[in-house]
Amino acid sequence: MSASLRPIPSQTPRACCVQVDGSGRPDNVDGCVVEAVREEWRIEEGWWGVPCRRRCFALALADGRICTVYEDRRSGQWWRYGA
Amino acid sequence: MAPDYVELHCHSAYSFLDGVAQPEELVDRACALGYTALALTDHDNLCAALPFAHAATAAGLRAITGCELTVEVDGEAHHLVLLVESRAGYTNLCRLITAAHAGTRAADGTVARLPSVRLEDVLTHAEGLTCLTGCPDHGVLRSDDPLVARTRRDLLLEAFGDRLAVELQRPFRQGAERQLRAFERLARERRIPVVATNDVHLHLRRRGPLQDVLVAIRQHASLDACTALLRGNREHVLKVPGELVALFADLPEAVAETRSIAERCGFDLTQSLGYRPPERENDADRELKELCELHLDARYPASSPWRQEAVERLATELVLIRRHELAGFFLLHREILELARDVALEIRGTDAARNVLPPGRGRGSSVGSIVCYLTGLSHIDPVAGRLSLGRFLNEELASTPDIDLDFPRDIRAELIRRIHTHYGDQQAALVGAFATYRAKGAIREIGKALALPAGDIARLAAASDGWSAEAVGEELQRVPGLRDRADDRRLRLLATLCGQIAGLPRHLSQHPGGMIVSDRPLCELVPLQPAAMAGRTICQWDKDAVADAGFLKIDLLGLGMLSAVERCVSEIHRSTGSSVDLSRVPLDDAAVYADIQAADTVGVFQIESRAQMQTLLRVQPTCLDDLVVEVALVRPGPIQGGAVNPYIQRRMARRADPTIPIPYEHPLLEEPLRETLGVIIFQDQVLDVAQALAGFTPGQAEALRRAMSRRRSRAGLEAQWLAFAAGAEERGVPDHVARTVFQQILAFSAFGFPKSHSAAFALLAYQSAWLRHHHPAAFLCALLMEQPMGFYPPASLIRDAERRDVPVLPVDLHHSHVEARCEGAHAVRLGLRQVVGLGEEDAAAIVAERDAGGPFPDVRSLANRLDLPTQRLQRLIAAGACDALGPRRQLLWELGLAARPLGQGTGSQLAFDLQVGEAPQGLPEPGAWELLVSDYATTGVSVREHPIRQLRPLLGDDLLDSAQLALLPHGAPVVIPGLAVARQRPASAKGIVFLLLEDEHGLFNLVLMPDVYEEHRLLARSEPLLLVRGTLEHRERQVTVRVESLAPLDLPTRRALPTEADVQQLRSVAPPPQHFAQGRRRA
Repeated sequence: MSASLRPIPSQTPRACCVQVDGSGRPDNVDGCVVEAVREEWRIEEGWWGVPCRRRCFALALADGRICTVYEDRRSGQWWRYGA
Repeated sequence: MAPDYVELHCHSAYSFLDGVAQPEELVDRACALGYTALALTDHDNLCAALPFAHAATAAGLRAITGCELTVEVDGEAHHLVLLVESRAGYTNLCRLITAAHAGTRAADGTVARLPSVRLEDVLTHAEGLTCLTGCPDHGVLRSDDPLVARTRRDLLLEAFGDRLAVELQRPFRQGAERQLRAFERLARERRIPVVATNDVHLHLRRRGPLQDVLVAIRQHASLDACTALLRGNREHVLKVPGELVALFADLPEAVAETRSIAERCGFDLTQSLGYRPPERENDADRELKELCELHLDARYPASSPWRQEAVERLATELVLIRRHELAGFFLLHREILELARDVALEIRGTDAARNVLPPGRGRGSSVGSIVCYLTGLSHIDPVAGRLSLGRFLNEELASTPDIDLDFPRDIRAELIRRIHTHYGDQQAALVGAFATYRAKGAIREIGKALALPAGDIARLAAASDGWSAEAVGEELQRVPGLRDRADDRRLRLLATLCGQIAGLPRHLSQHPGGMIVSDRPLCELVPLQPAAMAGRTICQWDKDAVADAGFLKIDLLGLGMLSAVERCVSEIHRSTGSSVDLSRVPLDDAAVYADIQAADTVGVFQIESRAQMQTLLRVQPTCLDDLVVEVALVRPGPIQGGAVNPYIQRRMARRADPTIPIPYEHPLLEEPLRETLGVIIFQDQVLDVAQALAGFTPGQAEALRRAMSRRRSRAGLEAQWLAFAAGAEERGVPDHVARTVFQQILAFSAFGFPKSHSAAFALLAYQSAWLRHHHPAAFLCALLMEQPMGFYPPASLIRDAERRDVPVLPVDLHHSHVEARCEGAHAVRLGLRQVVGLGEEDAAAIVAERDAGGPFPDVRSLANRLDLPTQRLQRLIAAGACDALGPRRQLLWELGLAARPLGQGTGSQLAFDLQVGEAPQGLPEPGAWELLVSDYATTGVSVREHPIRQLRPLLGDDLLDSAQLALLPHGAPVVIPGLAVARQRPASAKGIVFLLLEDEHGLFNLVLMPDVYEEHRLLARSEPLLLVRGTLEHRERQVTVRVESLAPLDLPTRRALPTEADVQQLRSVAPPPQHFAQGRRRA
């Protein structure tokens, strides 16, 4: 059944450079290797007003940092929250 | 190789506002994606289970029957999925769903609670069912307290054992993975299998917006206002099995479990459920034969010219009935008719006039059966009426035939309750029906979800023809004020979404008359739920599913005209003391046929519509047989089959020269089509033609008719054509003739009456015409009492009666009764119930107080003696019911100051009878126009001067009236004002629209060609006062105005009252025009 989506952390996202593997999951963010994809979620809403289509990932990076990135499916641009 | 994944959790649109796919669409999509099995698990119902199972079986997909049940646990609503393994499991599921719906309706029919069942009930009905634990958000294991989740898990495990699986989903929502792992842990702790599902709500990803809109509609909110309740993405779509296999690559056992559960759930809903009608103690065949023979001598005495034919026909029918084991079916209907007789006696009471009438009448193809005639299930002699049997009963019967019975509304309402009592609440239920989205509902609900301006929604809904919601996009292009906004994104979305929602079910309601009874509790065969009307139960299947399941359906239909005829007979008896026995009225009354031939038939059953009136003028019926044809003629079947004009032309030619030959497509068609002059008018003629031309047996012919009428399939029709062509060729019929006749049959299939049905309706049409002619005042009373019914609003019925010299008197506190009544020699006094906002109980209280305490001398007495809210008394005054007590404005003033005893009215006044003095002098009295507006606003009718007569002096001298139209030549230019009464846009008229207008002299017809209609669409659909410019068309007694332009009836501002503002007031209260295609019916 339906559930409310938890909001993405409220900091302003910044553009980032992401390399993906064959299934489209990030394996490198801004030059840092992704150690694990902790979770993937997808957003497709607002189609009646301001459409929002995103593929989001919670990542653990090889340098120990945690971050959330998402791909804007409309523009293809990757954005990053967190460290 | 079969894919490893089977979808076990899937919703269709029958989850009602929580799923977008029709069952057939799910089947098609599943097959396209490579599924070999699919479960359907709608919320708390099995509404689509049977059509899904049939569609799946036909497509080679294995259907798994199931349901997502709402379960009440610890005071919260949770979900779990139950899938049927065996017959016992199916019974348990039906019982659980029935229990979930028990008590969901309050006594007043409103929704008392949402369906849910206690977890304890699920645990005790686990046999034969596999249980999945539900979705991450609402699943039964969802709890913030792990101990609570474990307790529920253990309870389910104890009840279901190895038929329990913990459901795991990956809906791509943030946090869902953590929930999945929590469920997985709960499963691992007790070695319970895990199973992957996708909680499917979409068959196509692109339908995601529609699913969001359905959520908004369910919440009665805009999409913006309920964003938090939306799914947030479109991952709940039916995916390729391999995608789920990949998604659960880390949990392959969850995928494997889908297949093992699917293999276990082998229950096939398309197989017999073991339904049987209530059993009879005696040999049913013998009982039926004896019953028929008992009445044979009375109906066909030795002296009857039909005796021998009747004896032979009875023998033939009894053989067929025995062969198809239908004796119990006939006796059951007879038993219900006997119940109806008891009910009728109770309801009619000592009213001798009504008691001579039978409790109900037959309709439909069963009227062609002599067994029905002899057992009282039909009132038409099928032998004398030359009614054929094949449509109802034949050698190769494919399904149980229908016996339709019409009852007056009051008798039917009580009879349904009585059947529930007689057979037991568990063993009788009404057949369900699904209210589906059409244009206006879709516009309003989707428009609100998209937060469109209310004005835009109202304008588009008013301009919509109200047919399929698929047409909304086209309609948008034509509405002034909206068509120019092609770049408005929300309007484009509205059009798209309306197209997608078209035909989707909105909720379960009840079939107009179908009931099922069973020898065992019905809730073991199909889930039941309470109807909105207290004491009634509905089953979750519609008439098609009920027929597919082999259930015996009894059709008890409420027929407004039957009620009206009974009311009329009673009113004649009450007002004159004379009794009318309708079964004995002469069927050849020249005066009645004169009315019919002149199309003076407003209010007459079946032959009052514009199209019927125009046909009457040309056909000129002279006997009941002509009426039988007339009733069947103006139907989509004969119209689309191209039968109407040839029939009328041949009829007119025969009237001029009775020896003129009738052309037949082939000599073999002369016998079956002789009485209808060579064309197919009756449904049973389709059967006769197929037999005569192609050598079909009655069973084959009936199969042909069914193939054309229900769920047409191209392959099915092709097979029928090949058989037809082969049979025709054998009989030497040229191919082009066979093809032409088959096309005529095909075109006819839209909708047509069997002759037997038409005969039953024609008799009622004649009887109502007879009552209208000989007892016009009582007939008008009866029509007003039984509103809504027929094609004309009460205002038009009253104007029509006045034109026939029936004085209609206004509502009067001292003379009116609850309902309209005859007064004096020929007049009609409107009833108190005519006052809008005054209920039947209020009206009865006024009459009772008047009878007990005498007339009301003044307003104070009225206010003191009646326990009615002040607002209702104000309406009574505004409606003119108290005009005898003084001027209206003065009365309203006095009412405002009159003391009301405590407990009466609003209770806001002190109970001191203060003398407040008289109303101020000089309150202006309402003028004629104001009174007219007040009449329409408070009673929906007016007996004053017609509004057009009042307006005419202000409209200029060059305008015509309806009385002048008949005197003008064909082609004359016409400018004429009128009040819109009805409009019609028949599907068979290629976009032509017909409007019926009224002025002070009567009704007149307008024809709007498609281009004119599109130009004046809003006016044609919603403006009550119109000024019409056009050309007169005079053809074969028909007078019609072919419209060139329409305009609202604007008044020159410099003139005296009524002003444009006054006219605007009338616009807002004038009775809304009726739509001919829909009529106004009530159950």
